Amino acid sequence: MKRRTFLAAAAGVGLGCERRGERRLNVYNWENYAASSTIPHFEREFRCRVRYATYGSAEEMLAKVMTGNSGWDVVFPSNSFVEPMRDLALLAPLDHARLSNVENLDARFRAPVWDPSLRWCVPYMYSATGIVYSKSVSRQPLAWADLWSDSYGHRVTMLDDPAEVFAACLKRLGASLNSGDARELKQARDLAIQQKHLLRAYLSEEVRDQVAAGDVLAAQMWAQVAQVAMDQSSNLAFSFPAEGFALYADNCAILRESKRQDLAHEFLNYLLRPAVAAAIATEMRTATVNRAAHALLPEAQRENAVLYPAAETLQRGEWFAALPITAQRLRDRYWTEIKSA
Amino acid sequence: MRRLLAVYAGIAYLFLYAPLAVLAVFSFNASKIAVWQGFTLHWYGSVFHNPALLEGTLNSLVIAGAATVISTILGTLAGYAIWKRRMPWLTNSLYLSLLSPEIVTGVSLLAFFAWVFRFGHVQLGMHTVILAHISFSLAYVVLVILARLRTFDPTLEEAGLDLGATEWEVFRRITAPMLLPGIVAAALLCFTVSFDDYVITSLVAGVDSETLPMMVYAMARKGVSPEVNALSVMITVGLGSLILTAGRLERRGR
Amino acid sequence: MRRLSGGKESVRFQILARQFALPSTVTMIALFYVPLLIILAYSLLTRGPYGGVMLPLTLESYRRVFDPLYGQIFWRSIWIAAVSTALCLILAFPLAFYIARSGGRKTLLLNLVMLPFWTSFLIRTYAWMFLLRDTGLINTALLAVHAIREPLPLLFNDGAVILGLVYGYLPFMVLPLYATLEKLDDSLLQAAADLGATPWVAFWRVVIPLSKPGAVAGSLLVFIPCLGAYLTPDLMGGGKTVMIGNLVQNQFTTARDWPFGAAFSLLLMLIVLGTTRVLGKRGEELL
Repeated sequence: MKRRTFLAAAAGVGLGCERRGERRLNVYNWENYAASSTIPHFEREFRCRVRYATYGSAEEMLAKVMTGNSGWDVVFPSNSFVEPMRDLALLAPLDHARLSNVENLDARFRAPVWDPSLRWCVPYMYSATGIVYSKSVSRQPLAWADLWSDSYGHRVTMLDDPAEVFAACLKRLGASLNSGDARELKQARDLAIQQKHLLRAYLSEEVRDQVAAGDVLAAQMWAQVAQVAMDQSSNLAFSFPAEGFALYADNCAILRESKRQDLAHEFLNYLLRPAVAAAIATEMRTATVNRAAHALLPEAQRENAVLYPAAETLQRGEWFAALPITAQRLRDRYWTEIKSA
Repeated sequence: MRRLLAVYAGIAYLFLYAPLAVLAVFSFNASKIAVWQGFTLHWYGSVFHNPALLEGTLNSLVIAGAATVISTILGTLAGYAIWKRRMPWLTNSLYLSLLSPEIVTGVSLLAFFAWVFRFGHVQLGMHTVILAHISFSLAYVVLVILARLRTFDPTLEEAGLDLGATEWEVFRRITAPMLLPGIVAAALLCFTVSFDDYVITSLVAGVDSETLPMMVYAMARKGVSPEVNALSVMITVGLGSLILTAGRLERRGR
Repeated sequence: MRRLSGGKESVRFQILARQFALPSTVTMIALFYVPLLIILAYSLLTRGPYGGVMLPLTLESYRRVFDPLYGQIFWRSIWIAAVSTALCLILAFPLAFYIARSGGRKTLLLNLVMLPFWTSFLIRTYAWMFLLRDTGLINTALLAVHAIREPLPLLFNDGAVILGLVYGYLPFMVLPLYATLEKLDDSLLQAAADLGATPWVAFWRVVIPLSKPGAVAGSLLVFIPCLGAYLTPDLMGGGKTVMIGNLVQNQFTTARDWPFGAAFSLLLMLIVLGTTRVLGKRGEELL
């Protein structure tokens, strides 16, 4: 009896250990952010196996990697998460000697505000947040305030993302979406609670199919996901709200806990190749930060106003930034209150 | 009166089985939407061609298997012990574990592992999931074993003792073989409970230990897809057969 | 006279029993009690800047738990669990009664009730999503026959959650009710009839009171899981119907506020224990 128990326990432990002899890389990315060829080609060229999993929100990713031994090697934090993750000592410093392709980046992203020397991350894709809606609605949601009206019959959703919901509310109040002011945050919270009973749900990427099917009439959505929905249905339109909207960039970063830093660097460098970045941008309809890749895109894609908005539109956009800790805590707390209301 | 009850019962059974039946029917639907457009086995095929799903199934099987083996052994011994000697502490603990909401069990184990990890280079993974499953399935095993033991005649054991066997030999040669159908039934029950678990597993799973329920959940959140229907039918039939077998084994030898 | 209780007086198996119980005892301590103690400890600590826990010790989390804003979740959870339990009781009773009086087919009918329960809970919840969505079967069918103009919002609300819970836990109510009703002596009903009672009166005055133990046990078995439900409100409620289970899960994952989540978990545990204490003494012995 005792022997059986021991063997069973040993089997359990053995399974928990890694399979040796095969190079492995664990990549944790946003959903629908890699083309069908991206990972297989990398696996073939670098003779390794990639475990690729996805998440739907930056908070979800942060929760998983915060313990410092999550098992992931490469993650894709949004720009507002890079500084906090650096402060929490979660990120590994990048060795630019192994990232020769970094020069392919667009000039705007070579020295971004959130990481001027690109010591901790490399920009990957960028986009904006706006409203995707069905053209058949009586009231076109061209401003955030429109999502507070009841002309959509409960067929409205907002992103399941505290930063985004607060951004919409703060913009509606005329404040900066990175505001740490306690009063403004409280007003934003009250607005969100007001809106809640008009919403069907807080849904992120998962609502895309419902929007395409006409189930949901208006949704706060990332431009790039909206574009995919618009590809599926010709009855959709996208608006960059009048009061202002959020701009964000997702970046690749290597976790400090990773024991495969070499392979991780290869992967980041691989993603910076023009052909690879262009393939992802074309297939997944994302906006690439890679200047060389951008040049490779078909003209229709390059001129796409949703993915690459015009300069006047961009003027109304505001980049997300990391909040000071007290403001972050307050916002996290308010988000729980909004969800619980 | 009786007729009325029979009609009511019929409706009740319909209510219980209709959703699953609908799911089964539409898993053969040749279209993605809820309108019948022809019969096909395509979705079943695509499930088998999905490497992620296959890996998830393997993980689920391994976890359930390991947890079942350990839980059944531990639980059988514990059930026997409780039968022989009043153990209020253990009994109440198991009862509490049974009643404990899954979410509380899950987060407490997550916190436990997070704390333990400070003392070693351990990660969330298959082993943590297996340990978690043992934790909540133990009570189920004891439940089944005790129910069986309560129908036993202890004179057989007494006879063994009188013939000069030790207590351990009596257990090994007399009681355990008689208990075997119950043990297998408990094991099957344990396997089912472990295989189907989502809440606790999702909290303590690691990079390499995504299970089938976790994948079904992710797909269910995205929307309805016939692939999920096909997968659901296969899981339901699989687990259902296990349960029917368990029930049959339990009744045999009563 | 031989008692079939395994021989609690059997002195000779005492040592063996102790040995046999040891591994399970260790397992329970390590994997059940210690984790709960850690949760207790976490509930008294402070949240780190972005998550995690750190000193100092504080009762802040408990103060927030009793904040009226979260009272809503608390009461809503109790409300949903109570309604689900009541519905289960009402729906299960006639069924249990019918099965108990079905003679030879009793076991078969009972197994047919329990079978769905033992297959995947997740899948059964998903099956309802398939039926209730805007593009689901029910709406598609109703639209096709022009009974409605627009899809009915059958999913993503409290009602859907209650439906999901009732469907999920109905078998748990049938089983104990059946166990009690099966033991009901027919002669009692005969006696009532002899005394002039109509079947209805006999039902109300005889059957119902005698089925109380089963009803209580069943209510316990349904109310408690419903109270701590996570999956059903998450999938059927669309992330909007937040019950205690959802809140706890959220705090331990995306919200990264472990102390707060821990405090709420303990509150839930206490309610479960309290309910068991109140009802359990009159319910059936499970183990």
